[in-house]
Amino acid sequence: MRTDARDLLFQNRFWKSFVRKEIPVNQWLRTKILGLGLINFYLFVILTITGILLMFYYTPDTERAYQGIKDLEYVASFGLIFRNMHRYAAYLMLISVFLHMSRVFFTAEYREPREFNWVTGFVLFLCTAVMAITGYILPWDQKGYWAMTITSNVVTSAPVIGEKLKYLILGGNEVGQNALVHAYGMHVKIMPLIIGLVMGVHFWRIRKDDFLAWAVWGGHLDFKEGETPPAPQGPEQGPSLWQDIIVRELSKFLLILALVMGISLLFNAPLEEGANPSVTPSPVKAPWFLVGMQELLSWGAPFFFGVLVPNVMIVLIILIPYMDRGREGIGVWFHPSRRLANILFTAVVTVYLGLIIVGQFLRGPGWVFYWPWQSWPIH
Amino acid sequence: MTERQYTRREILNRIGWVATFGTFGGLTAASVRYVIPNVLYEPSLIFKIGRPQDYPEGVDYIDDKRIFVIRQGNLIKVVSGVCTHLGCSVQWAEERNRFECPCHGSLFNARGQVTVGPAQTPLSWYEVTLTADGRLLVDENRPVPFQRTLSV
Repeated sequence: MRTDARDLLFQNRFWKSFVRKEIPVNQWLRTKILGLGLINFYLFVILTITGILLMFYYTPDTERAYQGIKDLEYVASFGLIFRNMHRYAAYLMLISVFLHMSRVFFTAEYREPREFNWVTGFVLFLCTAVMAITGYILPWDQKGYWAMTITSNVVTSAPVIGEKLKYLILGGNEVGQNALVHAYGMHVKIMPLIIGLVMGVHFWRIRKDDFLAWAVWGGHLDFKEGETPPAPQGPEQGPSLWQDIIVRELSKFLLILALVMGISLLFNAPLEEGANPSVTPSPVKAPWFLVGMQELLSWGAPFFFGVLVPNVMIVLIILIPYMDRGREGIGVWFHPSRRLANILFTAVVTVYLGLIIVGQFLRGPGWVFYWPWQSWPIH
Repeated sequence: MTERQYTRREILNRIGWVATFGTFGGLTAASVRYVIPNVLYEPSLIFKIGRPQDYPEGVDYIDDKRIFVIRQGNLIKVVSGVCTHLGCSVQWAEERNRFECPCHGSLFNARGQVTVGPAQTPLSWYEVTLTADGRLLVDENRPVPFQRTLSV
C-alpha cells in the first residue's frame, strides 16, 4: 500500500525524535514556516558532498592548484558541473543564511529563551563567510591571489597582534605556498569541524526551545511571561501533521538540489587567469559578497574601515538579544513596537547592499568611479 | 581562624582537574604555535638584478621582484611596486607620470609619495649597490630615505 510505505518512511520514531514530547504543530507551523534554516542545512550537505568530490582533483600547491581547476573544467567527467554546484550552492548559502537571520530578526525570535541560539546562528553566519573567503582563494587565480593579499594586509592593521596574525594566517611573510596550504586547511578541515559542532548546538537548542516562537504562540500577541502558551487551534490538528511537515521540508531539499543543478548547467563558475604576483589586474574586484568591504576599504585607513567597523558590527549583532529585552512582538513579522529596531537593521543591510552595488557596478580601473553608461578608458 | 582541612580525595580531585585543563590548554597552545612556521622558504629580500646599462632612461618594472628600477641619466633608484595600503602591485602610468594602484585607487607621484589615498605612506625606496661583477644588488630589508640614488 502506498500509505503504508509513506508511514514507514516518515511516521516513525526517527522524525518524532526531532521534537520534545508534544509536537507544537499548529496552523502557523504548517502554513507560515519558511524553512530557511533547513535550506541552509541542505545547502551545507550539497557543499560537503561536492566539496569532497572536488578534493579528488585539487592539490593545494601554487604550481598545480590552478591546473587542478582547469582539469575539473575541461578534463574530469562532470567536473565542471560539480565545481559549478559547489560555487553556486555557496552563493545561495550566503544568501539564505542571511535571509534566515533576517527572518529571525524581523520576527524577534531571538528573544528569551532563544538568545543563545541567535549567537550560535550568527557564529554560523561568520563561519559561512570565512568558508566563502577561504574557498575562493583556493583556485589560485588572480581574484583569489589578490583577495588573499588584501585580506592579509587588512589583518596587519589590527592593533598589537596584527603582524603576528598575518604571519599566522599566511604561514610566512608573503602570499605563497604556505598561505595556500593554510587557506586549504581552514576550508576543508578546521571550518567544517567548527561548523559541524556549532550546528549541533544550534539544532539542539532549537529542539529544546520547541522550534519557533511562532509555533508555540500560534500567532497570539497577548501571551505573557509565565503563562502557558495557548493551545493550537484549528481543524488541521491531527496525528499526521508532523509527518506532513517532514515530507514537505524534505521535498524542499529536492527543490534546492534542482535549483543548484539548474544554475550549474546554465552558468559556469567564474575563474580568472592564474595568479600572477607581479601584475594586479585593473580593476581587481573581490567576489560580490566582499566587494562591499573593498569599497569600504577604499575610503581610508584599513584599521578604521577594515578592522574597527566590521568588528564593532559583529559585537553589536551578537549582543542584540541581550540588549533588546522586550517581550512584545515575539513571533510576529514587523511588530509595530519594534519599528526602530527594524528600521536600523534594514538600514545597515541597505548600506552594505549599496556598497556592493557601488563596488560591483560603479568602479572602473584604478577604483575610479564610473557611471554604468560611461565607458572605461582602454589604457 | 580555622584552617580548612582538605581531604585526600579533594586534593587529588583538584590535581586531576588542573592536570586535565593543563593538558588540553597546553595542547591547544602547542597546536597554535605549531602552525606558525620557524623556517621559511621564501625568496631572499636581498637579490641581484641586471647591470646598470640594462635599464634605459625611465621606469622599468621587474616582474618577479615587484620593484621599479628608475634611471635618470646616470642616477639609479629602486622603488617598491607594492602599494603601501593593502599590498597590490601598483602600475606606472607613463602618460600621467605617476604610480596607480588598481585595488583601491591610491596614487603616488614619480617619487613614490602619496598624492591620493587611501594609502598613507609613500612607496619604499630600497638600497641599491653595485656588486663586483657589475650588477645591481637590491636590499629590500633596507628602505632608504628619499632622493638617495646610486650614480653609475
